[in-house]
Amino acid sequence: MKIKFSGVSKVFEPGIVALRDIHLQIDKGEFVYVVGATGSGKSTLLKLITREMIPTRGSVFVNDVNLRKMRAVDIPYYRRDVGLVAQDFRLIPHLTVFENVAFVMEAMAVPPRMVEYRASKVIEQVGLWRRRFMRPPQLSGGEQQRVAIARALANSPSLFVADEPTGNLDFRTAADVMKILLSINAAGVTVVMTTHNQYIVDSCRQRVIELSEGKLVRDEQLGRYTLDDNF
Amino acid sequence: MTTFSYILRDTGRLLIRHWFLGLLTLLTTSVMVWILGLTTLFSLNVRHQLSRLESELVVQPYLKKGAEVEKVAEKIRAMPAVLSLKPLSPEDSLAKLQSRMGSQSRALSLMGTNPLPWNFEVRVRSAREVEPLVRTLMGMEEIDDVVYAGMVVQRVASLSRVTSRAAVVMFVIAILVTSLVVYNTIHISLYSRREEIAIMYLVGATRSYISTPFVLEGTFLALLGSLMAVGGIALAYLPGIRILQENLPFLSLLENPRVIGQFCLLLVGFGATLGWVCSCIVVMRFMSSTIRPD
Repeated sequence: MKIKFSGVSKVFEPGIVALRDIHLQIDKGEFVYVVGATGSGKSTLLKLITREMIPTRGSVFVNDVNLRKMRAVDIPYYRRDVGLVAQDFRLIPHLTVFENVAFVMEAMAVPPRMVEYRASKVIEQVGLWRRRFMRPPQLSGGEQQRVAIARALANSPSLFVADEPTGNLDFRTAADVMKILLSINAAGVTVVMTTHNQYIVDSCRQRVIELSEGKLVRDEQLGRYTLDDNF
Repeated sequence: MTTFSYILRDTGRLLIRHWFLGLLTLLTTSVMVWILGLTTLFSLNVRHQLSRLESELVVQPYLKKGAEVEKVAEKIRAMPAVLSLKPLSPEDSLAKLQSRMGSQSRALSLMGTNPLPWNFEVRVRSAREVEPLVRTLMGMEEIDDVVYAGMVVQRVASLSRVTSRAAVVMFVIAILVTSLVVYNTIHISLYSRREEIAIMYLVGATRSYISTPFVLEGTFLALLGSLMAVGGIALAYLPGIRILQENLPFLSLLENPRVIGQFCLLLVGFGATLGWVCSCIVVMRFMSSTIRPD
């Protein structure tokens, strides 16, 4: 999926500016880190891509489709092609790990056998096979994070949007998650992820977009995480 | 198939999750539909009684001596309230009177000549038209007197009007109360799962996929409530009319099983439709406010 931000600003009431005049293009199959301090507008940027929010000014285009003009009935179909990992996981607490992953496919009327096969495959991929019958409240933060990743992968999306997918994970699990993300990117999926993890950004060098107070201050191919100096 | 089984599973889950609220909805719907059903049946019975009386409704104008029978008959036949007219000669009238008096009919022979004039048996279309017709007939110079059993019919007609109004009022109350209860139940169900709904929408579930279990929950509760009400009506109405007919055999009541069955089906349909409409409204309102982008 190709994403284009054209003069995008987002202002929250009362007058809090989350993003200011963002011009940005992410091509199909790219891997992009979005970095920046807390409150710099990273999550807002991702929410504009998933159309959880609409810009106050400017437009966001995905595959040349203006998301602002997208009809309400088309939004679910668009989102099925976007794998989303939210910062707060957004798992359904009364469903098991397996059900949380499977229901995304059930919503698309995928045949039961295929649902079982795909759900099992992605749960195994994120290393939660032995936890598949547990419910999110019974899992650790890291495990919940991996369930969210598995759910995002279930529909084989063309775009993977992750808000700090390694935020709650230990070093080893974070590395495993990165392996998964790099492998799906290698398969042609566009990946956009926000992160505070300097080690990951510096060791898996990809395009880095840095936001500061809602402004795009850096856009660097094979960039580094250079926020250290600001702390 | 997957979607269908998910929707059924989720509807069951919703019903179990708020079982107490569901039970209250079920009972309220059931009581409201039961009262509505009985009120309507009472009203229908009064109407039935009225229409029977109307079919037997006869106005008898007596002609003055020397009046031209055929001309007067033509005049009355032309009136819109008149259903049919049968002229009765003085001899026919006397014979009728004798047969009605039975063993006392011999008393009539004491009168010597037949005192009865020509008269008509006029059948009227409806009870409401009796009074105006009688007034018109009284105004005709060829008519000496008019005899009719108007008061009973008038009273039944006014009772019919009252019961029809009561049925309409009950219908409105049933709609309001049932709608309110179903609306609240579904709203609470939706509210308790608002985060889940937002997540489902975020990962690509369509509105219909998310909302169908809630709509089914409301429809199911209202349908079950109506079925219970119909059971209650069968228990109350059928023995009730049996007792009435034993004690008041002159009453003609609705007891045709086919008609009662159709009425019950109508009630169940009404309950289920009401549940479905209310659930749809609350779900649509909730969905548009919950999943609106910031």
